Amino acid sequence: MSLRSRPTDAKRNRDTIAAISTAAGRGAIAVIRVSGPDVRAIADTIGLNDLEARRASLRRLDHPDGGGGVDRVLATLFPGPGSYTGEDLLEISSHGGALVPQLVLDAVLAAGARPAEPGEYTRRAYLNGRVDLLQAEATADLIEAASPALAHIALQHLERGLSRRIESLRAQLIEAQALIAYDIDFPDEDDGPLDPARLDAVMVTLAGELEGLLALAPEGEMLREGALTVIAGRPNAGKSSLFNVLVGFERAIVTEHPGTTRDAIEAVVGVEGYPFRLVDTAGLRDEAGDIEGIGIEVARSYLSRAEIVLFCVEDGRPLDREEQEFLSGVSTGRASGRAILVRTKTDRVEDRASGNDRSAIGDLPEVRFSSVAGAGVTRLRELLLEAAYSGLRSEVEAPLVTRRRHVRALEDARADVEGFETARTAGLPPEIAATHLQDATLRLEELLGVVTTEDLLDAVFSSFCVGK
Amino acid sequence: MKYDVIVIGGGHAGSEAANAAARLGARTLLVTSFLARIGLMSCNPAVGGVAKGTVAREVDALGGVMGRAVDRTTLHFRMLNQSKGPAVWAPRAQCDRGLYPREVRRQLEEREALDLFQATVEALLIEDGRVAGVVTSDGSTFRARAVVLTAGTFLRGTIHLGPRTRIDAGRAGDPPTIRLAEQLEQLGLQAERFKTGTPPRIDGRTVDYSRFERQDGQDDGARFSHWENAGGLPPLPCWIGSAGPEVKAIVEQNLESSALYGGAISSLGPRYCPSIEDKVVKFPDAERHQVFLEPEGLETTELYVNGLSTSLPPDVQRAFLQAVPGLESAHMTQPGYAIEYDYFSPDRLNSTLALPDLPGLWLAGQVNGTTGYEEAAGQGVVAGINAALFTLGRDAWVPARDEAFLGVLVDDLVTRGVDEPYRLFTSRAEFRLILRQDNCLWRLGPVAERLGLLTDNERESLEHHLQQLERTRRWVSETRVRPEELNGWLNLRGGAAIPETQSLERLLRRPEVTLEALLAADGPLTGPELDRDARTTVEMETKYAGYIERDRERAESLKMREEHPLPPDAEYLEFESVSREARQKLDRVRPTSVGQAARIPGISPSDLQNLLVELRKRSAPGVARETVKRED
Repeated sequence: MSLRSRPTDAKRNRDTIAAISTAAGRGAIAVIRVSGPDVRAIADTIGLNDLEARRASLRRLDHPDGGGGVDRVLATLFPGPGSYTGEDLLEISSHGGALVPQLVLDAVLAAGARPAEPGEYTRRAYLNGRVDLLQAEATADLIEAASPALAHIALQHLERGLSRRIESLRAQLIEAQALIAYDIDFPDEDDGPLDPARLDAVMVTLAGELEGLLALAPEGEMLREGALTVIAGRPNAGKSSLFNVLVGFERAIVTEHPGTTRDAIEAVVGVEGYPFRLVDTAGLRDEAGDIEGIGIEVARSYLSRAEIVLFCVEDGRPLDREEQEFLSGVSTGRASGRAILVRTKTDRVEDRASGNDRSAIGDLPEVRFSSVAGAGVTRLRELLLEAAYSGLRSEVEAPLVTRRRHVRALEDARADVEGFETARTAGLPPEIAATHLQDATLRLEELLGVVTTEDLLDAVFSSFCVGK
Repeated sequence: MKYDVIVIGGGHAGSEAANAAARLGARTLLVTSFLARIGLMSCNPAVGGVAKGTVAREVDALGGVMGRAVDRTTLHFRMLNQSKGPAVWAPRAQCDRGLYPREVRRQLEEREALDLFQATVEALLIEDGRVAGVVTSDGSTFRARAVVLTAGTFLRGTIHLGPRTRIDAGRAGDPPTIRLAEQLEQLGLQAERFKTGTPPRIDGRTVDYSRFERQDGQDDGARFSHWENAGGLPPLPCWIGSAGPEVKAIVEQNLESSALYGGAISSLGPRYCPSIEDKVVKFPDAERHQVFLEPEGLETTELYVNGLSTSLPPDVQRAFLQAVPGLESAHMTQPGYAIEYDYFSPDRLNSTLALPDLPGLWLAGQVNGTTGYEEAAGQGVVAGINAALFTLGRDAWVPARDEAFLGVLVDDLVTRGVDEPYRLFTSRAEFRLILRQDNCLWRLGPVAERLGLLTDNERESLEHHLQQLERTRRWVSETRVRPEELNGWLNLRGGAAIPETQSLERLLRRPEVTLEALLAADGPLTGPELDRDARTTVEMETKYAGYIERDRERAESLKMREEHPLPPDAEYLEFESVSREARQKLDRVRPTSVGQAARIPGISPSDLQNLLVELRKRSAPGVARETVKRED
């Protein structure tokens, strides 16, 4: 724990903060939240005196410096420690729009609050023990979820779905250590020495659960960013059309990320609620560059990280040697991910499929696609889901690991558990082997935020926006 | 009469406190009701066991009384946990109950700066809100700047023998201490009650030993004390039997007449030292419970019936004893009993075991809610050292959690308080691999020397031991072993052959290879005569270097927190931004460092942060101003 940063953190944690919690822009109402020890005093000076706890009151809100009313608002006081932040919390629903919420916030700030920093409400909720670290992260996930699948999982996390799984793992680690401690501390008891089968049983369950959580972790991480889906192919193979059709079909939940890369455009597309991060070189052909000068266009910097490569070839044209080499490179792991062969422009000529050459591409999944007729889109979506999220879709209500931080902690814990088993098998004494279990427990506690370092906290809470 | 330090009580805490204070050069008085009962073993006649044995050796490394007294009166020695690694080996000795106290008293009488006085302390002498001495039952007044209270179970002690028989006693045969308890209460020291118990004792002449398994001690030279090599007494065996369904039935039928279950006792006893009533009620499925017959002494036939602690009436005790196979005609010489006594919640003490609310007073032993001779002795050493250091105007000594089990013991007590009688376990220590029984002298000998606890002879001996350790380390790292001298032996033991000449250090990393076996009469190596502890230590260091290093790294990272001190006089109750519960806990515990504050149950991360801000606001106006400026 870095002690140098503590005083500033503590300062941040003891004054009263305020922010507009709803999005900017026109809207019927906006919500301004105020949290901290001075909430009641601030409420008194802006005309919201004597609020009844947890009951909405319709009041006129005044500026503390006079000058008449600011707005008619609905004000609700949530007294600490039973509030979201664990402190006294005031929620003011004002009228929306560009001006009024800002005036309300100005009044609150003038009455003694200071603007909240990003993530500060949730940070306080965590520091006051209202949520654990996983729940705090889930709050950010829920707000930022670009896909229903991620939102669904974030909600499970918020309701402690993942926390409970981690706590159960921790409880098992502690049980294993307790068995060893019993064996060490009570050598002469009625029950006699520890039956190794008891420890084995705990370890088998533990390893199984840890494995289960980690097995779906890659898909969980994909849910956050979207499965990286890279479109590749020769110039004029129909890549842009494919991109546009996939994006167009899902226009409602497309999020553009302009300027995030220099050599490609990308969009996050939801397929049945599962996010795909679609990348194309369209419009940037010159800079995108041909892969190793062979004329196949692909966003190179993405290729090594791609989950899926959509390889476009005009329908009816046999794959040339370079295309075959590229594809076998994808499938043999020179590039990551799985390839799907997309036969494009099927509308141009009625029956070109006969010219398709299957011999060189093995059992690559293939789809015939037309941007004009929209043919093959359903099949392509099916293939995409199959390639990226097959495990997740078969799992019902499984709380998932969606963050790098979770994966790392669980992988470390797994390595420690394996270290314990190795040490035990090698005949190391139990008190020596048990140090691995101590370490594994620490990893899970860090994950839950039972033991945290300031650095970790800062990293977690920097991903929040003001007002959450 | 004027002293620097007065110790009230002559049990395991009191005798260590007085010994340590006198060794530091403080003029010390030990006052106890019966000088002949100094160092008496009130419960079982044994010292040591897991974690406890390590504490006993730590006390010895600090110049304590216990280790030498044990070695000179040992009837039966065992190193427990030898099937596990050396990190958890645990020495335990059955001692002669009659001779042990004499050895304790003999050592105390060797201390030049120490006087003994037989009397009951009636009251503390209080002047200007400070403890200034004691007033005794004979009307004497003794003055001192530091008083160490080690009253054991004597403060308002009440013995229960069944549901109706209550005897006011500090221990069977000794009157309790009432007036002092009342005065402490008037001084605002809120007492709480614990109970503990002891089993009946029997006459060994009436035992059918054929129904018991004989357990002999080991004598391979292991000892408690680092300072002398006393050979102990002629060995006596222990006997292992079992209490079966007949005993269970008798206990069940008579539960109503148990002081514990009949309602006479409401206070809490230790879970890990259950009475036979507890065992029967809480573990109804257990068919049998072990019974250990432990010898009481060379010159008596009395045996201690370990495992059958009870608060049932004596006639029921006779009945269940006779239901134990082999005890059919056993004669009970003393009934077991439960005892309730006052203790003071130790979370009000500081890390030197002083009570800040009543300056000049230190508390050690069972009055702090602990059980066990070793736990008492360990607290006695810490309190005695610090009471003396205080009167000598020197800095306090607080053992750290990664330095000694004593550190774990004291820190647990003053930080977490107790909710049942406190006993040490290895699992209470975060750094189990560092706090071992073999390295007590390396860890604490230099501390003892620096503090001035050691006699000239002991200082020389310490020097010699430390050289032995270095010599052993060098021998292991410099010795090369050749395939031809080793492979035959390795082969016999199922170990893989070594292909070429290699260092002994490398060979020793194999789990199946030990120095003891290599150097044994039938072993392949001959080497220098190695000090037993040095050998174990070097073996640990070699075999488990990586693991010990991990423990040490964890200890270092925690130390950073420990080294951020908190002021002793902080007005925690006024720290508005700290939660009310945390304020009260901080005020009570008065942590000395941020690390200790973090270990207090119920202190949240935000409480810790707010605590630091409040302290900054109060202690460093310059910093606070800077903070204000930044807010603008």
